[in-house]
This record gives sequence, C-alpha cells and structure tokens, in this order.
Amino acid sequence: MSERDDLRAMVRELLTDRSGSQHVRAALDGPDGFDPSLWRTMAELGVAGLLVPEEHGGMGAEFADMAVVLHELGRRVVPLPIFSGAVLAATALGSCGNPDLASELLPEVAAGGQRITVAIGGPAGQLPVSAWAVRWTAEAGGVRLDGVSGYVLDAPGSDVVIVGAAGPDGPLLAAVDSSVTRIEHQPTTDRTRRVGRVVLEGVMVPRERLLTDPGAAGALIGRVQRAAALAVAASGVGLAERVTTETAAYARQRNQFGRPIGSFQAVKHTCADMAVAVECSRVAVDQALAAWGGPDEERAVSTAKAFVGDAAAQVCADAVQMHGGIGYTWEHDAHLWLKRALLDQALFGSSSWHRRRVADLVLPSPLVA
Amino acid sequence: MSKAQTLDSFRAEVRRWCEQHVPKGWREEEANASSEKLVEFQRQWRATLEAGGYLAPHWPRELGGADLSLPEQVVLAEELTRADAPRLALYQVAIYNAAPAILHYGTEAQKRRFVPGIRDGDVWCQGFSEPGAGSDLASLSTRAVRHGDVYVLNGQKVWTSWAKHADWCFILVRTDPAAPRRHGISFLLMDMRTPGIEVRPIKQATGAAEFCELFLTDVKVPVENLLGPENEGWKVSQSTLASERGVTILELAERLHRNGMEGLVNAASGWHAEDGTPLLADPAVRERLGGLYGEVQILRGLCRQLIDSMMGRGGVGAEASIIKLYYSELLQRLMRCAVELQGLPAQIQQPLLMSAGWETGNWLNDYIGSWSWTIAGGSNEIQRNIIGEQHLGLPREPRAPGEAR
Repeated sequence: MSERDDLRAMVRELLTDRSGSQHVRAALDGPDGFDPSLWRTMAELGVAGLLVPEEHGGMGAEFADMAVVLHELGRRVVPLPIFSGAVLAATALGSCGNPDLASELLPEVAAGGQRITVAIGGPAGQLPVSAWAVRWTAEAGGVRLDGVSGYVLDAPGSDVVIVGAAGPDGPLLAAVDSSVTRIEHQPTTDRTRRVGRVVLEGVMVPRERLLTDPGAAGALIGRVQRAAALAVAASGVGLAERVTTETAAYARQRNQFGRPIGSFQAVKHTCADMAVAVECSRVAVDQALAAWGGPDEERAVSTAKAFVGDAAAQVCADAVQMHGGIGYTWEHDAHLWLKRALLDQALFGSSSWHRRRVADLVLPSPLVA
Repeated sequence: MSKAQTLDSFRAEVRRWCEQHVPKGWREEEANASSEKLVEFQRQWRATLEAGGYLAPHWPRELGGADLSLPEQVVLAEELTRADAPRLALYQVAIYNAAPAILHYGTEAQKRRFVPGIRDGDVWCQGFSEPGAGSDLASLSTRAVRHGDVYVLNGQKVWTSWAKHADWCFILVRTDPAAPRRHGISFLLMDMRTPGIEVRPIKQATGAAEFCELFLTDVKVPVENLLGPENEGWKVSQSTLASERGVTILELAERLHRNGMEGLVNAASGWHAEDGTPLLADPAVRERLGGLYGEVQILRGLCRQLIDSMMGRGGVGAEASIIKLYYSELLQRLMRCAVELQGLPAQIQQPLLMSAGWETGNWLNDYIGSWSWTIAGGSNEIQRNIIGEQHLGLPREPRAPGEAR
C-alpha cells in the first residue's frame, strides 16, 4: 500500500516538473506528438514495465499500480504512448501462449524500446470480434491477414502491431511488423492521444508470431479489451479529479457582482455535482481493480468504463461552462480536458455498449425473457 | 484465523440467526395494518434483534452493543437485507441519533440515565425542523426560558418522525434570542409525557403519517436534561445530523441493491412492452437497467469507503453529504425507472409498508416516498452547499441584510 503511495508521489512529482500546461502543449506541437525524453524517463523509472513480469525485465506489479500511474497521467492529460505498450501489449503478451514471443517483446515494452501496440477492434473500433474487419486464413506455416482495424491507439509511430483477426475457427492475435502494414494517422480533435488505421493486405504471418493457436485467442482478447477499458477509466478519474479541483479554485478566485462566483449556488451546486461524480468514479475504478482477475471482473470493468466515461465527460463539460469566457479560449486548458474526456468516452467501447454488457451479465437473457 | 475467515464465520453466524429469527410474511401482514399493529410489530422485531445481540451493532459492548467493526457492520447489513428482514424504523432515531449524541456530549449521569433506556426500547424522536425553519434550521424560534431548575418551552416543531409513539424527544430550542443565530441554540432531552405537548400527525404525500407536528405550550424540561453546554446546541445537532447521514446508510444501500435493484430486475422479467414482447428484450431497457445496476454497486462501495475514512479520522465531513446526495437521487432515479417501465399497472394503488425503506416493490409508492430522502435531513440543495463549502472550499453565500451568523 505504501509502495503504491510512493509510486504515486514519484510520478506526480515528475509530472509536476515536466508536464505543466506549457510542456503538454509543446509536446503536442512536436514531431512525435509527445515528449520522447519524458517517455525515456518514465521507462527508466520502471513505469513502462510495471505490468511486465520480472523475468522479462519488468516490475511484475499489479494492475492497481499501473492504475495509479494512469491516474496521474490523466490528471495532466499527458500525451505518452503508454497505453499501447505498457498496458495493452504487456497484458496480451503477459498471458499469451507463446513464451518465445513474450521473451522477445516484453523486454522491449519494459525498456520503452520498440513501440508495440494492439489492434483489437473493428474499422470503427468495435470491440466484438463479430464486427471486426481483419480476417485470417490458414496458409502453410502460418496465417494470412487481410482487412482494416481502426482507432488503434499509438499505431502511428509503432514498430510492432499485435493484430486481432477474426476467422472461421475463432479469433487470433498476431505480432506483425508495422512496416508490412499500412498505418494511417487518424487525426482526432483530442491531440493528447494518437490513433490510426492499420491496413493489412495479404500480410503473411508465420506461426511463431501468433500469441495463441489460431482461433483460440477469444479469452485473451477479452482480457486485453477489459484492461484497455479499465486503463481508460483509471485515467478518467485522474482527469475528473484534477478538473474539479481546478474549477473549484477558479470559482474561489473569480469575482463577479462583487463576490467570488463560487458563492453563487448555481456555480457551487455544479461544482458539488462534479465532486460527487469524482468520488463515485474513484469508487467504480477501485471496485474494478478489486475485481480484476476474479469472477466479477467483466461486470465491474464495464461499470467503471461506462460510469467514469460519462462522469468525466460531464465534469469536463461543466468545467468549460463554469470557467465562462476564458474556458472557451484556446489558451486555457479546459478544451484539452473536454476533448480528452470525449475521446476516452468513445474509446474501447461506448458507455452505452458497456452498460449493455453489464445488463447481459446481470439480467436474464433477452431470449428467455 | 485470518480477518477474512473471521468475517466469513461471522457471516455464517448471522445467516443462521436470520434463518431462524427473521419473521416470515411480514410484508403481507403489514399491508394496511393499523398503526398500533405496526408499532407492536416493530417492538417485537427490536426485542428479537436485541436477544440476538444485533440491536446496536456500532455501540460499545459495555453499553449492550455489539461493538462490530465496519466490515462486520457491512456483513450484518448484507445478511439482514438478504434475509428480507424488516427495517427497525421506529428505533432509528434512538439508536443512530440520540445514543451517539448522548454518548458524545452527555455527562456521566446523562449516559447512565438515558442509554439503558434506549437499549431497552425507548422510542425517541427528533425536534429540529419548524414551520419557519426547514433547510434554514438555524433560524428556529421555539423558545426555552430558564426559570430556576427548569426550561419553559413554547413553540412548534414539524416533521418529527414517530412522535406519536415516542417516549423522548431531543429538541433544539432558542435559549438566547439576542445571540447570533447559531450561538443561541440549546439541545434538550424532553420527556414526551410532559404536560403541554400536543402531537398531531401529518398525512404525507404517500398517505402515511409517521411524521408529526409538535405544539409546545409552557412545557417544563429540567435543566439537567440539557445536552452539551447551554447555547451550544447547534454543534451537538450537527453531529447527530451527520450520524443520520452516515452509518444507517449502509443498510439502506444494501436494501437498494437487494430489494430495489434485484427486485426490479425480477419484477421486470415478467413485464411486457405494448407490442407484447418481453420488456427485457428491449436493448434500451437493458441498457438503462445495466447502468442503474452498476450505479447501485458504486453506491455500496461509496458507503463503505467513505464511512471507513470517516471512522479512521474520527470525524464526519462532507463525505456524509456525498453519500446522502448520491443515495437519495439514485433511489429516486431507480424508482422512477421502475414506474416508467411497469407502465399502467404501476398506477394501481398498493398498500404502504412501514417496516421497509422506499424499496418495497410497490414502485409508485417508493418513487413518491423517495422525496422524503431528497428533502429530509438537510435537503439535497443544502448538501450541495456543504459539499461545495467543506469539500471544495467554496465561499459561503453573503448573508442577507440583518441576518446574523
């Protein structure tokens, strides 16, 4: 517990120095869209390898430790390619059935070396395999991949893409060099995360590059998708928490009609609702972390993704309004907050989709009903 | 044994007790029963809980409590709810408000005098609100003038739950009208048999009448029944309000999960849309229920975490307001959802149940009853002020001209 507090303090201190608003803006305008030196520092501190087992050069930490880092990064809307490698690839490779591949790639994740991402969605980022457009077909010695996966986090600039593909015998995951794919940056309104389309045309993948037997990746894909959803939720709590604090601070010092606007109930009550949303979001993520690896994992993660996604988006929307005119300027960070929250709300399954997942887990089947 | 094993064996023990002692069929018996019968039923259930040692889970053992840890209190609430035990509505104020206030602020003599009575079944009511002092509680005007060794009370109180059946009332009165508003208030313990007290039930929006008005004419309360220092009753009252918003909510959250949410899912399994298709085949309905289900789980976690942090700190802060706000509005949204989903059959009049919260399964009653939670104990607007001011440090509203602190 106290180690986790130390980790939080360490990351927070680092980001206070190196991820102020001006740093974030400079990084966004830079060639990579993030600050490579900050990323190197994070890797040196072991953050990139938190979820990587120790025998592969990582820390072998728990998901809850990674959540602490994501929370802190979320607080400052820091653009870093951390989700793709340190969360998604680490989860996929860490529980895959191909030890050689894991031994080759996991140390890269831990060291922040090769940039590895995971493409586990349809052309519009859809989570269900039934909606995927990348298909696999068996070939001598391996598989052939064709199709498109969209909204793939950190695909631009990646070295390796772990591609999910649907097929007649079930889905698979294959590690593919980015160079044999076509990766198209999909510029989003939020610039603090970068997504892209991964296009595969007759890409041949030898069997050694598959994470599981062909068709047997269903459970692993589900786990990686849940890790993604929980990671986004953890980051969203940090964002909502920070935005609420900033908004309350503004409401304390901004005077209109001869008094601080925070003394007006119209403003105060909105801030109070933001604070309640933050507390509930925090609990939702804590519950999902507690359920991680247990029988209630899927329900708790979907609850957290849906709740925090909506809560953070609402908190950030309210923050723009509470800041008034200054909140509508490019110069103020309120638009960065809101855009990040809106992207995250849509990423890795909409709130609506996750609520229906919860329903499918706790309600009688619609066919029986 | 590890903590988890201890907790598991405690759960098993409570579950066994519940199987043997929770009355069966109380909902049917309570439907439209007379108020005397309801009170008698509450008395019996209180005695049963006491015999089992579960009456006052949060009290120290030397006072007859169970001295349970927070995790054990959660288990007790879960198991009582799981067994569909009645709610000990008549004694809530005595056990969760009067006792903690007396234990915290009372003299040794007061503790010796009142706590055993509470343990043995005295019913207490709370005389806070007045016709002219609702959310603005500090503007209360019921007067207490000291004559020798008694205070003489004159005024009117309102929304006093269960006053008709109460043995005692803890009451806020103005003892120094010249002092700033919050500094001239005292907290008295008033015997409800004292001459000069008239109790009139208020029929509420639900049709029930557990709330009452109190009319006080020259009511004499001995000075020894002053709780805490004279003119510092505001402080005492804030601690009991906070307790009202704190621990009892654990049980309510469990009830909202078990009887409210799971009850709604079970009921809705049998409901149909206008075109005759099962309601739960409608993706929009499923999404709505999936969202509410998640929120009820968040509420349960929120109660545990925040109460745990309050206990760790030994003080009550804005957490209690956050819980009260989220619980009451979630209750209201869940019940509104139930009424909307059930359609016209929800409109058929159903009996009121007094030994339940507002998650009886009679959805329209529950929905209307939910306003007792969004308004009582400091309306939700007041809770938002508290959260804004205490949790976020926002400034208070400027006082109106002539309104002293």
